Amino acid sequence: MTTSDPPPPPESAAPSTPSPASAGEPRPARRTVTLAVVVGSCAIAAATAIPAAAFVAAPIGSKGGGGRWVRTLRVDQLVDGEPKRVAIVDDRRDAWTIERGVELGSVWVVKHGAKVSAFSSVCPHLGCSVNLAPEAGGGFACPCHTSAFDADGKRKSGPSPRDLDALATRIEDGFVAVEFRRFRIGVPEKVET
Amino acid sequence: MKLFSDLGDWLDERTGHKKLLAHALDEPIRGGARWAYVFGSALLGSFLVQAVTGIALMTSYAPSDKTAWASVHYITFTQSGGWLLRGLHHFGAQAMVIVLVAHLAQVALFGAYKKPREVNWWLGLALFAITLGFALTGYLLPWDQKGYWATRVATNIAGTVPVVGDATQKLLQGGAEYGSLTLTRFYAIHVALLPALLVALVGAHVALFRKHGVTPSAKTDTSRVDAFFPKQLLKDVVAVLAVVAVVFVMALREHGAPLDAPADPSSDYPARPEWYFLALFQLLKYFHGPLEIVGTIVLPTVIGAYLFALPLLDRKPGTALRGRKGSLLPLALIGAGAVGLTLQAQHQDANDAGFQKERVKADERASIANRIAKEGVPPEGPLAMMKRDPELRGPELFDKHCAGCHILGAHGADKDRTAPVLDGWGTEAWVLQMLHEPDGDTRFGRSVYKGEMPSVDTPPAGAPPTFKPMAPEDKSAIAAFLARTGDAAKLARGKELVTTRCTTCHLFEGKGDDSDQGLAPELSGWASVPWIRAQIANPSAKTNYREHALDPDRKGHMPRFDAEIRNEDMDLLAAWVHAEARRLKAR
Repeated sequence: MTTSDPPPPPESAAPSTPSPASAGEPRPARRTVTLAVVVGSCAIAAATAIPAAAFVAAPIGSKGGGGRWVRTLRVDQLVDGEPKRVAIVDDRRDAWTIERGVELGSVWVVKHGAKVSAFSSVCPHLGCSVNLAPEAGGGFACPCHTSAFDADGKRKSGPSPRDLDALATRIEDGFVAVEFRRFRIGVPEKVET
Repeated sequence: MKLFSDLGDWLDERTGHKKLLAHALDEPIRGGARWAYVFGSALLGSFLVQAVTGIALMTSYAPSDKTAWASVHYITFTQSGGWLLRGLHHFGAQAMVIVLVAHLAQVALFGAYKKPREVNWWLGLALFAITLGFALTGYLLPWDQKGYWATRVATNIAGTVPVVGDATQKLLQGGAEYGSLTLTRFYAIHVALLPALLVALVGAHVALFRKHGVTPSAKTDTSRVDAFFPKQLLKDVVAVLAVVAVVFVMALREHGAPLDAPADPSSDYPARPEWYFLALFQLLKYFHGPLEIVGTIVLPTVIGAYLFALPLLDRKPGTALRGRKGSLLPLALIGAGAVGLTLQAQHQDANDAGFQKERVKADERASIANRIAKEGVPPEGPLAMMKRDPELRGPELFDKHCAGCHILGAHGADKDRTAPVLDGWGTEAWVLQMLHEPDGDTRFGRSVYKGEMPSVDTPPAGAPPTFKPMAPEDKSAIAAFLARTGDAAKLARGKELVTTRCTTCHLFEGKGDDSDQGLAPELSGWASVPWIRAQIANPSAKTNYREHALDPDRKGHMPRFDAEIRNEDMDLLAAWVHAEARRLKAR
């Protein structure tokens, strides 16, 4: 079988024995062909890779949608100084789905006299959901990485880089309305996603 | 046999497979076959288990936030053999991480990263990263509480990287928040991108390994050479078999893999990563405020950079361990640190009463969710399913809307109570006690209606001497009638008494003796589900209490909830209160 092999074509000659055609200055035609092959391959790669990459990277430019005012509970359901976790119920647009009246997340609402304040329940450290901390002398604690906050949301101890994120509130017909927003996690500044 | 050999020749002439096979099997093992060399093959073996079980799981899994949990539930509890397949995939993943660490340790100890094998060491590190990527992306796919919250922490960590963090996080999540696109992305990464990368890099890794051969330890007599087949291959097969056996036994013993309650973004959940990430998790607790990035990014990057640079740092010729102690010391420290942090994390959780309580709560929710989902999950998803379940939703709604004033079982605090205790409400025992002592502490004693209802058997202070206590059998008949229990004669007597004796103040079927002045509520259908439903919606709609019973001067009466509780939730709450009150004994 081996004896019947045809002699190797000049293109596949080993580099140690250059054929006269490729010695010294490459012939312009050969250089053009190489260039054409490289450019052609790059064009094929780019034609598929660029649209695919642009498609996959599209969400990078997306914004968190900003704040929205959502009614929660009645003011008289709050006991002075006792924070209450309330669900934020509103419409949710998720990619191709629209859902009416679903829970988007939750916030902590607390009343001190006439003043009602609200905090995002998302821990600014790495985004777990903060709980009340009755054992730690009141305030809030994160069940993940031991961040602790006082009753006014100020950082007491633990790794969180900032205080709990306060949310704007107002009273509408006896109900507490909260401006529901989300903020970037794990950074000292309170900036919206 | 002749036929096989002829067939083999026929194929070989066309494919040349015999030469390839011989090349694969006759690989020379310098210094002889050893157990120390089995880890690479064991990894490849456990990857094949993951590939086979993973592809099988794909045939039943549906990645969307409405279907992911439901389909994993179906695989785990309904489809035959699904629990085993998921168990194999779950424990196989953990086995891969363990074997990977063993492989890395063996290569480091034997100095197999040294010149000229640097590139293969780097390929190995890349494969390490890919494997952890598999673990991280796979954790989210069931879309249960455990995976959802742990993965949120992971993507938030990605977000803390300076400059590119925000973009990276959005790229991974498919947007600013978790949603359907997060799941489709993680799924695509898990089942297509990472497998493709892994196969390509494993190909290169094995090819480079074949080019350079094994790295026997310094003392080995390298004049002895074994062929890969059969001596090393036998050891490799035994190793793969051992790994698969452990995975199988774990899957059988744990009866598959756990499934937590469906992911709920508005819930609280004590998130923890899979055990092999616990060291990294624990690390996050120690770096506070602006130093946070040290735990999330800097230290992991430094470790990665050290591993990458190891073959460049350790350039002395020879693989004797003595000469490499300095270069390997950081690796030993990393290993000891990882073990220490993992133990520390487990120790802290075991001694954290708050965490344990949260964990029990989460497990209860998981077991209820898993039980009710066996009836099927609606197309709106598992969260909607749970919202429609009275047993789950009832207590939540009660806690939120009722427990501020009432008590029912363990729901509500007695110190804040301003309304009756509802345990046993609607039963005969409750009515009897109410007839006897309406202003008792567990009844109207703390409510605005204190003093409005007279006792039927105890004269009020300064009562005329004509007061005649109600006969016990009459009280019993009224209680039976109101609780709708007992024989027909008793019920008839009860109804007669109610319509004659009680309607001075109460309404019955909308009528009372003095329907403009009485305050007391409607007694027909009292404490039934529709009665409760009407009471929750609006107590003063005349179907229960009359309008003036809830005048503004009577501050502290029960408010109407029809503006804040949705109709379906009111139905659910009424049904739950009805069942729960009757289940408990009257206080």
